[in-house]
Amino acid sequence: MSDKRFVNERAVGSSVLPDEAIPLVEGFGRFLNDIQLPGMYHVAFLRSQHAHARLRSVDASKARELPGVVKALTGKELFGRVEPFRSMPNRFSGGESVQHWLAVDKVRFCGEAICAVVAEDRATAEDACELIEVDYEPLPVVSDPRDGERDEAPLVHDSCPNNYLIKREYERGNVAEAFDKANLVVKRKFRIGRKQALCLEARGCVAAYRESTFVLTVWMSHQLPYVVRHYLAKHIGMHENDVRVIVPHTGGGFGQKASVYPEEFVCAYLALELRRPVKWVEDRLENMVASTHARDQYIELQAAVDKDGHLLALSSDVWVDVGAYSTYLWSAGMEPLQTAGLMPGPYKVPALRYRTRGVATNKTPVGPYRAVGRPSASASLELLLDEAARRLKIDPVELRLRNLIPNEAMPFRNANNLVHDNVNYVPCLKLSTTKGEYARLREEQRQALADGKLRGIGVACFAELTGLGTTTAVGPGTLLQPGRDAVTLRLETSGVLTVAAALPSQGQRIMTAMRQVAADELGINLEDIICLTSDTATAPYGFGTFASRTAVFGSGAVIKAAKELRQRILALGAFLLGVALEEVTVANSAVHTLDRSKSVSLREMAEKSYFSAKDIPEELNPGFEVTSFYDPKRGSFAAGAHLVVVDVDPQTGDVKIIRYVAAEDVGTIINPAVVEGQIIGGIAQGIGEALLEEIVYDDAGQPRTVTLADYLVPSALDIPRIELHHANTPSAALGGFKGCGEGSIIGALGAVTCAVADALSRRGGDIHEFPATPERVLRGLGVLPGGA
Amino acid sequence: MKPAWFDYHAPRSVDEALHLLSNAGPDGRVLAGGQSLMPMLNCRIISPSVLVDINRIEELAYLETRPDSLILGALVRHADLLRDPQVRAGWPLLAEATAYVAHPAIRNRGTVCGSVSHNDPAAEQPSVLVTLDGTVLIAGPAGRRELAAGDFLTGMMSNALKPGEMVVGLRYPRPAVGTGAAFVEFARRLGDFALAGAAGTLTMRGGVCEKARITVVGMGGGPFRARDAEAALTGRSLDSTQCKNAFAEAAAKVVAAVDPAEDVHASASYRRHLAGVLTTRALETALARSGGV
Amino acid sequence: MAREQRIKVTVNGRTYDKVVPVRLSLADFIREHLYLTGTHLGCEHGVCGACTVSLNGRSARSCLTLAVQADGAEIVTIEGLRDRDGKRHPMQQAFHEKFALQCGYCTPGMLITAIELLQEKPDPTEQDVREALSGNICRCSGYQAIVEAVLAVARKEFV
Repeated sequence: MSDKRFVNERAVGSSVLPDEAIPLVEGFGRFLNDIQLPGMYHVAFLRSQHAHARLRSVDASKARELPGVVKALTGKELFGRVEPFRSMPNRFSGGESVQHWLAVDKVRFCGEAICAVVAEDRATAEDACELIEVDYEPLPVVSDPRDGERDEAPLVHDSCPNNYLIKREYERGNVAEAFDKANLVVKRKFRIGRKQALCLEARGCVAAYRESTFVLTVWMSHQLPYVVRHYLAKHIGMHENDVRVIVPHTGGGFGQKASVYPEEFVCAYLALELRRPVKWVEDRLENMVASTHARDQYIELQAAVDKDGHLLALSSDVWVDVGAYSTYLWSAGMEPLQTAGLMPGPYKVPALRYRTRGVATNKTPVGPYRAVGRPSASASLELLLDEAARRLKIDPVELRLRNLIPNEAMPFRNANNLVHDNVNYVPCLKLSTTKGEYARLREEQRQALADGKLRGIGVACFAELTGLGTTTAVGPGTLLQPGRDAVTLRLETSGVLTVAAALPSQGQRIMTAMRQVAADELGINLEDIICLTSDTATAPYGFGTFASRTAVFGSGAVIKAAKELRQRILALGAFLLGVALEEVTVANSAVHTLDRSKSVSLREMAEKSYFSAKDIPEELNPGFEVTSFYDPKRGSFAAGAHLVVVDVDPQTGDVKIIRYVAAEDVGTIINPAVVEGQIIGGIAQGIGEALLEEIVYDDAGQPRTVTLADYLVPSALDIPRIELHHANTPSAALGGFKGCGEGSIIGALGAVTCAVADALSRRGGDIHEFPATPERVLRGLGVLPGGA
Repeated sequence: MKPAWFDYHAPRSVDEALHLLSNAGPDGRVLAGGQSLMPMLNCRIISPSVLVDINRIEELAYLETRPDSLILGALVRHADLLRDPQVRAGWPLLAEATAYVAHPAIRNRGTVCGSVSHNDPAAEQPSVLVTLDGTVLIAGPAGRRELAAGDFLTGMMSNALKPGEMVVGLRYPRPAVGTGAAFVEFARRLGDFALAGAAGTLTMRGGVCEKARITVVGMGGGPFRARDAEAALTGRSLDSTQCKNAFAEAAAKVVAAVDPAEDVHASASYRRHLAGVLTTRALETALARSGGV
Repeated sequence: MAREQRIKVTVNGRTYDKVVPVRLSLADFIREHLYLTGTHLGCEHGVCGACTVSLNGRSARSCLTLAVQADGAEIVTIEGLRDRDGKRHPMQQAFHEKFALQCGYCTPGMLITAIELLQEKPDPTEQDVREALSGNICRCSGYQAIVEAVLAVARKEFV
């Protein structure tokens, strides 16, 4: 069948202004806390003050008597009525963790929910929480994973010996031999503190009984509406198709809103019990303890290197402080397994060994956050490469060039069993160093050092596997296999196109991107296309938005479905125009003859199809609704090389980034301005990881960073101007797209940590612990005692 | 994070406010800018049973620059100081320090008197008042009185107000001719609570320091008045060959004398180190601004 | 009773006469009693800046202001930035065209703060812009597009 097209101005590749941003810029967005339903109640949670304690009793009687209070729900009341969260099975699990929605016998972290109070307003619910009397019997606290794995350590879960929630050993290639014959063995420790995504909008949920045609409707600030629906129905004991999940405008997600938490499920339970809408909004103090944390890793890393700086083998020991429970549903395995398994990154590593553990402690559970284990994996290796470069007296960029997987070697299977293809590692490094004028930067560094300024330069290269299909697990050993999503394309009765997919946006403009792809595939004007992404009632099955997958999955599924829909449009159009199929194409929302002498609008076609079906042969009117699933099978590697220059104040330890050059390969770009925003946003979070952000606990498991005055995220003064360049190459996925949401945070952590270490090395100092706070910098310089 | 219940009053005169404060007893609080108080209420760190909102008391909304002093009432906002060219010209230390207070929206509402009364160890305004030999104007059931800044600021988050009293204004003497001043602060991000800060003034005549004032911020208690360091500089020649040593000596005295606290942002030893670094920087800049050697 | 009070507040040019609990924040009043949900709550302790509104012509954290304190006041929120014909404020148009928002949660506070900056400093440097916005946290954008939007308005590319 022919499919000629006019040479149109393509929508893909241009920075189309996002219609979806208009309500947001005008102040008419609808975020979770904006939802008000008649008769709505409000929930506040009483949370544990202890990191580890037996709950002898929970007395909510005074709370219940407070005027305006409707109910105070305890764990004992829920017990047996709903399914608790059991850690997801994983081949590498150390044991099982069971998390009750509200604590029953024990609390295992400060902030764990004990009681849910329902009242007429939130302030009253909080008043009532203060009246609840809890009798705690404190238990010994596990506060460090390296202590927690010892035989004599207290247990967070009786079913997890040595507090291992996850443990894995891996070896491929002859590691021992590589270390034997190495010219140089470099060993390094790396420590990255605990982080959290810090979405500006924290979590929240409104649950309502029979608010729409569904028995239970749940609005949730969340990234995975279908997953929520599935597990909510399962745990509460409902039919899945009685449940509708709607995602309103979402103020950031970054993976923190991709986990399944007890609080929202409690709201759903209460809505069904009370038969009134129930709202819970997570306030910032709660968010600091109740939403998942990230990173918190100790890495000991060794590389065997030959005299020219080639990596012969990599061996690592990783400890991740994964907190009190294996988060539902990604499991505690995410950071430990990814950090160790993905450490080789874009470098040729012939032999790899690692031992990695996720150790339970009495802290907030750790869940997925932008790039998960890859930033620490990359930064620890990049710092090691710089040390190797110093010792071998090879320039750090040159050393990397010698080790990056070159395009000529692709497809290339690395020692972690990943196959690299269709990706530009070396071109990205060359581009960033060319645009950054690397040689001149080094010369300027020499001059600056001579002038008494402490300047450092860091380079980091990353490989980022995006858009994972079914053959590549998001977390090794997990039984959960996201890997195929669906899109429905439907011409409405007026000929406009609806694109529906369960891929909600938290600002990455998924609706706009999918409209752009659909416009090109179908020849329909952008303004005639809308995209629905947020409602299980209107979108087909999709896993959701995470792991840098929506560009690949959403676009790929659109392309697949569009192929079929386009044929149907052409067939009916040809019939209505009275010409042969080979003589038509579709452009500007109409079917045209190739000589442009005749055309019929999609509006007219749709009206005829829907309202005058008797005039159309049945075989030409199969309906204009097509749903296609897309599984890209493999993942698509994205890449980048970031080059950072810092000035360190040797008196205060202050670090200023004075130059930032990034070159990335993000495949075929749909909307350049949106991509730029994603990349720079990721860089900002990486800078935050490297220099500012840290959640601190004391030895009793009490959090010491409890407000935004304690947990510091970058402000406009902390992020420099980013010079962004592209060395793109298409992926093998449909459309050649790649994900770009997570790569840049990896490059940023690597490049900034290396730049700081490089500065310190000029005065014989070093730094292994991050964030590189001013104090750690001074300790690394020897200005303050203690080392870093 | 909604506050617990309180009774709320918005008096229109100082007398009415004092009456309400007396009735409220120790559980009553003055609400001025609210930029320190309301976060504590929202977080339920404190739950006062009575709030006396002074924002309607017009007699407290004055800011006057006089030949010998600057006086301001309890409703003067940080931003009002920054917007007043007379303040910037006559009391440059005050203007420079005020620019470090948080961010524009906070400065628009937060009051100078409120910040002084609250006496957070990391705050800027208390240290400036001390450095400029300022005075706190107080009203209470027994009438009006004044206290020197150093006597008013008794320790971390505490002041010398008696029950039923409130701060109604501040007075800053005009710095003498030949005075250079500087306020330097180091925080993790601009506008954050200072890890440490230093306010320094040097009144110079003929290359000799006639008067030095050095106050250090962030050392755990109220502002730390570095008297030993001041003494080491007073009467001393600070020409270009001598000032480096003199300032080093002053900084060493500061480092020896301060006893900073540790918190999640910084250890005591780092704060102590910073105190010395920032004292030196403040003195160097103050000297450069003093207009003469 | 001292726990409730009647207030008259003008918001975006319209005057409202309401009885409110004394402990109600201005943010919650605007959002829940006036249904103007464009102003957002990100922290409720004054740090994040998402709740910033214009109060009697000056930017203020609505989470740190009690509704009763706004009796007699004039407030402008993001919804009030459009002109009477519904045309967006130049700053809003600039934010849109420069892709200066992603999730949109910080945007209300950013707009109010940026507009105030240009009123006080019509020709700011990039450093001035970053400093003025340093009290408004954005977690999505890395600030670059926001800074460009503000500078573009200063250059009168959007009027």
